[in-house]
Amino acid sequence: MASETSNTSVLGQTFVAGLWDENPVFRLLLGMCPTLAVTAAVKPALTMGCSVIFVLLCSNIVVSLMRNLLKPHLRILMFTLTIATFVTICDLFLKAFMPEMSETLGPYVPLIIVNCIIICRAEACASKNGLVVSVIDGIGMGLGFTITLCVLAGVRELLATGKIFELQVMPDSFVPWAAMSMPVGAFITLGLLLALVNAVSKRKS
Amino acid sequence: MLKIKHFIEQSWLLIVSSFCFGLLIAIASAAWSPRIEQNERDKRNKLMKELITDANSFEVAVEGVEVRAKKGRPTKTDIYKAVDSEGKSVGFAFIAVGSGFADKIKLVIAVDGRCEKFFGFKVLASNETVGFGDKIKEDYLGNQLKGVPAGELELVNTGDDKKIDSEIVAISGATVSSKAVVDIFNAYIEKIREHLQTKGFVE
Repeated sequence: MASETSNTSVLGQTFVAGLWDENPVFRLLLGMCPTLAVTAAVKPALTMGCSVIFVLLCSNIVVSLMRNLLKPHLRILMFTLTIATFVTICDLFLKAFMPEMSETLGPYVPLIIVNCIIICRAEACASKNGLVVSVIDGIGMGLGFTITLCVLAGVRELLATGKIFELQVMPDSFVPWAAMSMPVGAFITLGLLLALVNAVSKRKS
Repeated sequence: MLKIKHFIEQSWLLIVSSFCFGLLIAIASAAWSPRIEQNERDKRNKLMKELITDANSFEVAVEGVEVRAKKGRPTKTDIYKAVDSEGKSVGFAFIAVGSGFADKIKLVIAVDGRCEKFFGFKVLASNETVGFGDKIKEDYLGNQLKGVPAGELELVNTGDDKKIDSEIVAISGATVSSKAVVDIFNAYIEKIREHLQTKGFVE
């Protein structure tokens, strides 16, 4: 009974780690390229987040299943091969069913192959843990990344257009801040959000 | 023999995985390729229709025209004839590719039925910098090219962008991308006219 409770607690901790304590963007500063590049609006950010969840989940499952067969000097090659496969499938899916979004995201979907979050989780978690822990870790980390991207994109879209999900939120008198849709807006918003997260963490500790 | 055994021991997982992953990608590609191609066709036709508003349908007039852009390898393109509801030819459109600032730029360019003036262009694909190079998608450059005589174009940094002539005023902050668009026009138009004349579509 005690062991069952402990297992549930470990799984809970693994899931929550991706959302806050080991959040890929705010705490580990991984995946900065898509974080800065696709957060001009919430829709592309959400699509990128879902793509990362899919790739992270699938690669964690495959790596976890083959972890006992991996040769140490070939493991990075195997991780890259696994990740590239699922990224290609994801890219084809977007081109087939969401062509406009695929165009908006441009090269950033294929670039998930070199996203450090995925390879980091394959190395740090999936190659050392069983299937259940790897799945929970993949979902937790993927959700953490997606939520972060959406928060960043929400702030930028709101200030750049006065809208969120193309729905008018700000009053008519609001003057849009065009700079927020540009790269400078991404850097400033990310910097301010990082400062906020650090301040909250300090207060908590 | 020992060496082969060692090689297989070390790499069997990689070989098996490569085969399985390759198969997975092949299945996904086979299942979705028709849809992806259809999406591309729909987008191309939509852009051609936006450029040649009188067109009712498009049919391939000349296949596989080889054009060498300023940089890169020669590319092949098809010329589409735009036909109105009465079956009359109202213009021609083709896809043109050239090097931009960040990556290749793919344009849909349209000319009138006599290949004497441009109807304009639309960007089919580009990865130009957001906020700068991607301004080629906006109307500023497109409007300058509407009605311009189909011949050699020249890019200038300052000038009257409302005047319809072969001097095209570059977009501020997107000079390289503007030059890429003008270079694409210059690389393609003579070849396209030559092929249309050879096939007897224009005089």
